[in-house]
Amino acid sequence: MNANKIKIVKADLDQYVNIPINMTWDFLGREDSIEEYEVEMIKEVIGSANDFEIARFANNIDLNQDSSINYDFYFYDNISPISAVTVTSANWGISYLNEGFSVQDVYYYSKPFTKSFFKLDFYDTDDEKTQQIFLSIILPVQQGLTETVTLSPTLPPVEIKKPQMVLDYIGDKEGFFIYWLRNREFVDINEFFMTGKFFDGRLGVFVQMTNTPQTQITPNKFNFNNADYYYYKVKLDYNTKTYEVFSTATNLRVGGATTPIKWYEYVNP
Amino acid sequence: MVDPTTRIILSTQRYQQAPRTDQFINVPLEQTSKNLVEFDRSTDLNLAEVFDQERQKSTTFRPVTKFTVLFENALTGTSIYSPFRDNLYYTNALGNSILAYPGGISTTGNTSNVPPNPFVPTIPWEGFPQYPEFDFIRTDNNVPGYTIPPQNHILFKNVSATTYNWSHYISYPFENDYNKTLYAVEPNTSFNWTWVASDGLPFIVLNGSNAQLREISFKCPMMHGLSVGEFVQLSISYGTQDSFQVSSLGDSGSGSEDYIFNIANVGYIGTTFQQFTQGTFKRIINLANSADTVSSYYIRRHKILTTPECSVLVNAGFEQNIYGDKTKCEIKPLTPNQKARTSVKEGARSYTLSFNCDININGLQDNQRRPLTSLFFTTIWRGYLGWTSNMKQGWHFNTYLEDGKPQIWWDQNNVNSNTNIPQSFYYTAIGDATFNNVPTEFFYNELLTTGDTLDGDYCEWNDFEQLERVISTHQHKIKYNQNWFSTSANTATITNQYGYFYQPHNPIEISSFSDYIEEGSGVNVVGIPDYAYYSTLSALFRWRDKYPYGYIDTDGIGVDYPFLNGKHYPYVNTIFRVTPEAYNIPSDYATIGLVPPNITTIADPAVDECE
Repeated sequence: MNANKIKIVKADLDQYVNIPINMTWDFLGREDSIEEYEVEMIKEVIGSANDFEIARFANNIDLNQDSSINYDFYFYDNISPISAVTVTSANWGISYLNEGFSVQDVYYYSKPFTKSFFKLDFYDTDDEKTQQIFLSIILPVQQGLTETVTLSPTLPPVEIKKPQMVLDYIGDKEGFFIYWLRNREFVDINEFFMTGKFFDGRLGVFVQMTNTPQTQITPNKFNFNNADYYYYKVKLDYNTKTYEVFSTATNLRVGGATTPIKWYEYVNP
Repeated sequence: MVDPTTRIILSTQRYQQAPRTDQFINVPLEQTSKNLVEFDRSTDLNLAEVFDQERQKSTTFRPVTKFTVLFENALTGTSIYSPFRDNLYYTNALGNSILAYPGGISTTGNTSNVPPNPFVPTIPWEGFPQYPEFDFIRTDNNVPGYTIPPQNHILFKNVSATTYNWSHYISYPFENDYNKTLYAVEPNTSFNWTWVASDGLPFIVLNGSNAQLREISFKCPMMHGLSVGEFVQLSISYGTQDSFQVSSLGDSGSGSEDYIFNIANVGYIGTTFQQFTQGTFKRIINLANSADTVSSYYIRRHKILTTPECSVLVNAGFEQNIYGDKTKCEIKPLTPNQKARTSVKEGARSYTLSFNCDININGLQDNQRRPLTSLFFTTIWRGYLGWTSNMKQGWHFNTYLEDGKPQIWWDQNNVNSNTNIPQSFYYTAIGDATFNNVPTEFFYNELLTTGDTLDGDYCEWNDFEQLERVISTHQHKIKYNQNWFSTSANTATITNQYGYFYQPHNPIEISSFSDYIEEGSGVNVVGIPDYAYYSTLSALFRWRDKYPYGYIDTDGIGVDYPFLNGKHYPYVNTIFRVTPEAYNIPSDYATIGLVPPNITTIADPAVDECE
């Protein structure tokens, strides 16, 4: 290389060397990239299609290949005031009669009875300060097993509905399936906390339910940690499209024929 | 800014006898100015356009169908196996009771639910299997002595309620089988053919050259698909000539134009076209270009895309077909187990089938290596309760009777009609006891899984037309296991009993090809699809365009299914027929005037402009 012949002399002014970067070609795919950017911007401005389709989640079979999920709802019989020391768990029974419905109400499907229902709410956490409800399941009172009662002394005994439900693929199946988003991109959640309530169509009020008889709630049957007694845990399996219910106290699976999900009416003092 | 202390001197002047060297100034490519924007870009945000772009780009489908099940319970039989025997829809209850209770029916028996003594358990009871044996969703989960103890046949699992009888899948046609051996019977003349699928369609010469008529007539056992002016390439030849032009179609019979074609009798002599000569033919559109325009014939094969767990089968609301349920009361004394019950012969419920998994067709090609335009709801008989065995397969032309009996195609010993669906079996204690503790199997078809392949319809493909025609639909035949339920008291042989037919593959169109054919050379036309056919005669590519989703042309070709969640939601109504091969009318059934209608004659609903 020859020594350059450029002489740059000092001056008080800023000096510049213009170096031409001669381009005889275009950026390859510039148009494509601009179009891609355009698509990206449009997506940012007006959004893209999210998948809100739901899938049907069924209760997973147990070791006996039993797919049913069993709910037992216990109502307080109100024989004694709830604050009485004589109250035991035997005061809760699986009968609408305990809740104040008459045999006639239940047998003849009176409006107040048929308008009543159980409501299972599914939350993302058991922390009531931050929790969000994601879905609810309604269990109509027309479902369930029956009990034998006397409608009238002059009539033979009759069978009326009781709040003990065996839900499955066939037979009583309202509330058996959980319909939830199949795509996890939008809401990625696989564990819900389930609470139980009963809407009493006779009184027009919701009755809160606990997972333990109130007499066994500690430290105090009116003052306790809600997270311990108001919930069951429901876990979804997105691969098999099934769910399983667990006790929050024992972490064992419940809901089978021998381990029904038990809900007990909570009675305010 | 320039540092005022900087001095730049020539290298030779840096010191005494300094050499001349190149000097460099590191110039940073700092840009303190900006080029003028070459040109601004602006894009209109058009929601419809974006929607359409997403729609055309999406390859994921969520197909749904509503099954209207038409089943005709037409084959009676007898059983001594108590779980089956005690749950029949009896057709000769009185006659069976007389034999089974030779001592009469005692009062004790009537009141205590204990069969009166003596009861002869070896007396077979006659009747129809009840409708739950064929229903899409079994609900008989609480039948003592059958689905629950004591002495039960199986222990019913509710999770399997939708898969005990049938299983449902999505499949697509992925290849052709040209070498399948086929068999057909001409129902009127009883002539039969055995041929290989690729040979073409079978024919028999009805009016031969010896009849001295102006035309020679050929009859086919299936629709020939020919038009006047086209040519047929026969498996028989007249001298060196084996291709002849079709001069007319049909004879005087109504609808015969679909089955009979004629060629001009120009004075053929010899035995080539003698009456009752049999052979096969292939369709040729243009004899001058026979290489391009000759049709090929094959069995379309399907590949399964879903697992049985994916399918979600539910009742379609409260919908029932117009035929209603057919039930009757079985009177307690006239039953083998002394239990009154309601028995169901036929049901009428409709079902909705959807899938928990998505169907992504990206990368899938159909059997002609074209983009996929059809998916199929594939429904397979499972028969887990063990009433049936050895399911066979054939095509619609095999469903006609041959001399009043099932075609020999369906014979148990014909390996060509075997399906490739694996069959399993189980034993039951009470079943073994029925045969003096000699184990006897209850057979059922195993579930399929993704990637399994099945035979499908018999089809014709023409490269020049770029069109596929279904010649005959694929059929499965369900036959009773004669060990447990004997239907042999009829004219059919023991190895070739009557059964029920159903069509396993029911299509759903997910997009369409154009009704016109594009033609172009590779030099002048861009965008020729890779599935285009190259015609050697015209030296041009030929293909049909694939219509975009949402476009329906003036002839009604195209699809416009809902598109949401970034997925296609195609929907179709499917009539699912389980058709008896023949009737096996029992003695007392005929006398009470309840001979059922023939559901094969029930046409699909017509759709006119009003709808």
